[in-house]
Amino acid sequence: MQLGGTNEFSWIINIAFFAFIMLFSLYGARFQMWQYLKQIESGLLELKRMWVESRQKSIEAFKEFGLSEEEVAKSLDRWMDYFTIMPVDLDPAGILVRLDHLLDERRDRFQEFIQEVAPESQESSGQNLENTLEVTQVLNLIYRVVRHFYLLGKKTGSQLMIMQVHMQLPDLIMLAKAYHDALEAFAAGKPIGDSIGPLVVTKFAREYGAKPEDYTHEIAREVGYYTVEAEGRTVYALRATGPGGTVGKPGLAVRKLVEKHGKKITRIITIDAALKLEGEDLGRVSEGTGAAIGDIGPEKHAMEQAATEFNLGIEAIVVKENEAAAVGVLDKKILDAVPEVIERIKTSLQKRTKPGDAVILAGIGNTIGIGL
Amino acid sequence: MGIVTRVIGLAFTAMGAFVLFSSVGTTDPFGLVWSFIGMFVMALGLSLMTAGREKEKKPTPPTVTEIRCNSCDFKEIRDFEKGDYILKPVEAACPKCQSPMTIEGVYMVREEPDEKDKI
Repeated sequence: MQLGGTNEFSWIINIAFFAFIMLFSLYGARFQMWQYLKQIESGLLELKRMWVESRQKSIEAFKEFGLSEEEVAKSLDRWMDYFTIMPVDLDPAGILVRLDHLLDERRDRFQEFIQEVAPESQESSGQNLENTLEVTQVLNLIYRVVRHFYLLGKKTGSQLMIMQVHMQLPDLIMLAKAYHDALEAFAAGKPIGDSIGPLVVTKFAREYGAKPEDYTHEIAREVGYYTVEAEGRTVYALRATGPGGTVGKPGLAVRKLVEKHGKKITRIITIDAALKLEGEDLGRVSEGTGAAIGDIGPEKHAMEQAATEFNLGIEAIVVKENEAAAVGVLDKKILDAVPEVIERIKTSLQKRTKPGDAVILAGIGNTIGIGL
Repeated sequence: MGIVTRVIGLAFTAMGAFVLFSSVGTTDPFGLVWSFIGMFVMALGLSLMTAGREKEKKPTPPTVTEIRCNSCDFKEIRDFEKGDYILKPVEAACPKCQSPMTIEGVYMVREEPDEKDKI
C-alpha cells in the first residue's frame, strides 16, 4: 500500500495525505504560534522567578537597616514601577540641560527613598542599596514588558507581535540573567566589572604616591580627584567616590577641572569598561579616540564640549567585557588587565603630552567595592 | 517530571518501536499505516522521557579576597567577607615582615569559554 497506489486500501493513505496537507496549509501558522506562545510562557516564568528572587534578596538587604520585612516589602512594591519621563525632543535645543536636571531629580528621589526604607544605612551602604533596588527594578520591568506583549499577542492573535517577542526572548533572558546574578554583588558591596575605570585610576594614583587623604572630594556630585605628578606631568586622576556603588557625574567634573586649570590641561584620558563582541577575549584592552562613558547623554556631552572648547586631545582606553561580567562580580581576567591599562596611560602621557603639561585621567564606572 | 512519567515514556517508546519494526517490510495492506502509528507512539514516548530535563546548573564560583603585603611579596587569598573592598587596609600585619597589608583584589574566577567557541 503506497501513496498513489492501486491497492484497495490506498484511498485511506491518499485521504490521510491530502488531509495532512490541507490541515497544515490552513492551520500551520496557528500551530507555530501556539508553539511560540508556549515558549514565551516558559521564558516568562523564568523572568518572573528571577524577579521574585531579586525582590526577596532586596528585602533581605534593606531589612538590615531599621525597618521590618513587611514595611520594606510594601515600600519596595510601591517603588517597583517608578519611572522617569524623558524630556520633550520636538524642540531639541537645551535638551541635555533638561535631561541632566531630570536625572538629578530622579537621583534625589532615589536617595530620599533609601533614607526612608533604610534609615540606619550609611552613605556607602545606602549607595549599594540604591544599586540593588535598581537591579530589581530592571528585572521587574523586563518581566512586565514581556508579559504585556505575551498577553496582547494572545488576545489579538497578532503573529507579528508574538514573533517579535519570541525572537527577542533569548536576548532578554540573557540580560535578565546577568542582572539576576549580579544582585549578590550589589547587595554585598563586591566590586563589579564596570568598576575597572575607578580601580585603574586609583591604582595609577597610588603608584605615584597618592593616599586616600590626598583625594579632593566633591568637585561634582559624588566625584573627586587625586593630583599626582607622573612622568613629569600633573595628572588629575578623577573618579567617583567609593567604596559605595555610584557613578557620580564625571562629565561635569571634567568640565569643572578644565575651567579651573584652563590652558595648562592639554589632554583628557578616559578609562572605562566596554562591551565586547562575542568571541573577543574578556579583559582585552583597547584604545581609541573620544570619551569612553556610557551615560545617556549629559556627562558625555560635558566632556566632549570641554575638549572641543579648549581644543584638548581626548582619548579612551577600555577593557572589553560582556554584559554579565560588567554587572557581575569582578572577574580575575578583568583585574589582570589593570597593569596593561596603566602602561598604556604612561605611554600616552609620554607620547602625546609634553613635560609640564596637565592631564585629566578620568576613571568612569561604578565605584562599588573600590576604596579610595 | 517524575519517575512515573519517564517509565510511561519508556513503555511508549518500546511499544512504538515494536509496532514500527514489526510492520516495516510486511505484506500487510495496513503496514504503512502501522509503521506511521509506531513512529508516532515512539516519538511521544521519547518526548515524555526527555521532557522537563533541565540543564545541570553549574554552581557559581566563590568570590575571593586577595591580600598583599605593602612591602614584601607575601600574598594571601581567602573567601570574601562582607565589608571587604579593593584597596582597603587590613588590620592584620604581614606574617613575614610585619608590614601593613592591603586588599589588592576582590574577584571571581569564571570558567573558560568552550574550545568550540574559539574560532
